[in-house]
Amino acid sequence: MEVTPVLRSEWLKVRTLRSLPGALLALFAATTAFSALAGASASDVSDPGFDPLFTALSGVIPGQIAAVTFGAMAVSSEFHRGGLRLSLAAVPRRGRWFAAKAAVIAVPALLAGLVTAFAALLVGRAALGAAADGLSAGEQVRGVVGCGVYLMLMALFAAGIAALLRSGVATLSLLVPFILVVSFVIGDATGTVADFLPDKAGQLVLRETYDGTLGPWSGLAVTALWSAAALLAGAWRVRRADA
Amino acid sequence: MTSIDVQDLTKEFGDRRAVDGLTFRVLPGRVTGFLGPNGAGKSTTMRLVLGLDRPTAGSATIGGRAYPALREPLRHVGALLDAQAAHGSRTARDHLRVLAASNRIPDRRVDEVLEETGLASVARRRVRTYSLGMRQRLGIAAALLGDPEVVMLDEPSNGLDPEGIVWVRRLLRRLAGEGRTVLVSSHLMNETASFADHLVVLGRGRLLADTPMRDFIDARVRPRVRIRTSEPGALTSALARHGHDAEEHPDGHWTVHDARVDDVGRIASAAGVPVLELAAEEGTLEQAYFDLTGAETEFTAQPQEA
Repeated sequence: MEVTPVLRSEWLKVRTLRSLPGALLALFAATTAFSALAGASASDVSDPGFDPLFTALSGVIPGQIAAVTFGAMAVSSEFHRGGLRLSLAAVPRRGRWFAAKAAVIAVPALLAGLVTAFAALLVGRAALGAAADGLSAGEQVRGVVGCGVYLMLMALFAAGIAALLRSGVATLSLLVPFILVVSFVIGDATGTVADFLPDKAGQLVLRETYDGTLGPWSGLAVTALWSAAALLAGAWRVRRADA
Repeated sequence: MTSIDVQDLTKEFGDRRAVDGLTFRVLPGRVTGFLGPNGAGKSTTMRLVLGLDRPTAGSATIGGRAYPALREPLRHVGALLDAQAAHGSRTARDHLRVLAASNRIPDRRVDEVLEETGLASVARRRVRTYSLGMRQRLGIAAALLGDPEVVMLDEPSNGLDPEGIVWVRRLLRRLAGEGRTVLVSSHLMNETASFADHLVVLGRGRLLADTPMRDFIDARVRPRVRIRTSEPGALTSALARHGHDAEEHPDGHWTVHDARVDDVGRIASAAGVPVLELAAEEGTLEQAYFDLTGAETEFTAQPQEA
């Protein structure tokens, strides 16, 4: 089997399920809205811990739930009522099939992530006003590109977990509390293993200043490793299990 | 020509054997009915043939090749496993386009099978809004998509209205007439009898029969004759003289067991018994099936748990 037809088919699947483009729209809407809110309500701009880049992009913290949902649902829609059998009967090379699936999650998530990050930065900066003047062009480019890549990696992480657990509901009930609660609660404890959590590590790229073991790109690399591990685990389940 | 070859196929789920050392061949040019009670292993066998489940032992091949080794498999094998498998949020047309794209089947063919299955007018409706019968038609459309030489359908008549059932029957006959290999599972005997040429019967994962349908019935059901007369007394004594038993039914007709219509006609005529009605009663697939599975149940009725 060739790769291109499989990619086309998987891409058509993403396009023809309303909820999937919907999740990417939600990513854009939620992230920009929360960034505007965070910028407008930033009061302690003189605080030494204040980070204008992170404040402008902070809409991603709640917004990433939509990216995670996109990745999880793109995979879990296959596990609906024997749908996987239909897909694997059409494409019995399971590794190839799952790789195509990952590709059609990664590319739209990256593009939507970049657009979202750019818009979030614009509205966040506008809301911050003078407080964001100190941001260099390089830092802003790094923030936007890093944010797009981060959202893509989180979508892939969720896709891998969904394939492993064979359930979108299970994936989201694991990842959403994890992102919103666990990481948030233990996240302040910098300099611990919490720095290496998939979401925490990748979010370093959103900060103007950072300290600790990881930098913006090495942090993103840690997230990439988590995503790769999740995808490999998912691929293992897809290849091994009875459909 | 392409046949389905199942060789010593065994599949265990935990310590339950769903398919147990199964060997049979499904040949092209005829409809093979795949019979057995629920849980006999019919659907599991089909999944094993499609490479969806991994066999514990043995093999299943199509035209000598394992299904996953087929390039663009939908162009060789079309299958309907579960009509509910189509995602409810997609339109029927999009559902088929997705499948078609993966095997480089043009969208033109999607519209053709929608037309053929009578779904063209509702093709742009979401599958969620479909009745079970419409989903069944969509599943059959998906199976026909690649114009495959092998067609495998699991309970295709499920949920279809009477017109739909007749349509499926004609479709199966046509596919076999075109020289394709057609395997159709069912637990409805009369339905299967209406389209099958050949039977593969499973019970508890094992092969119980692999014979032409006519042979299957003739070997298991003794011929009977239905007769109606205005002089039952003369008839029964004439039959008794020739060693035949006759049984009376409340509506006044008689059944002569284990007899041929030619013989009964001659006996009645020689005895001068007026005959109002005389007909051979063909054995049905249902009778033959229950004769087989009844014996099988006795055979396997020992407690399974140790």
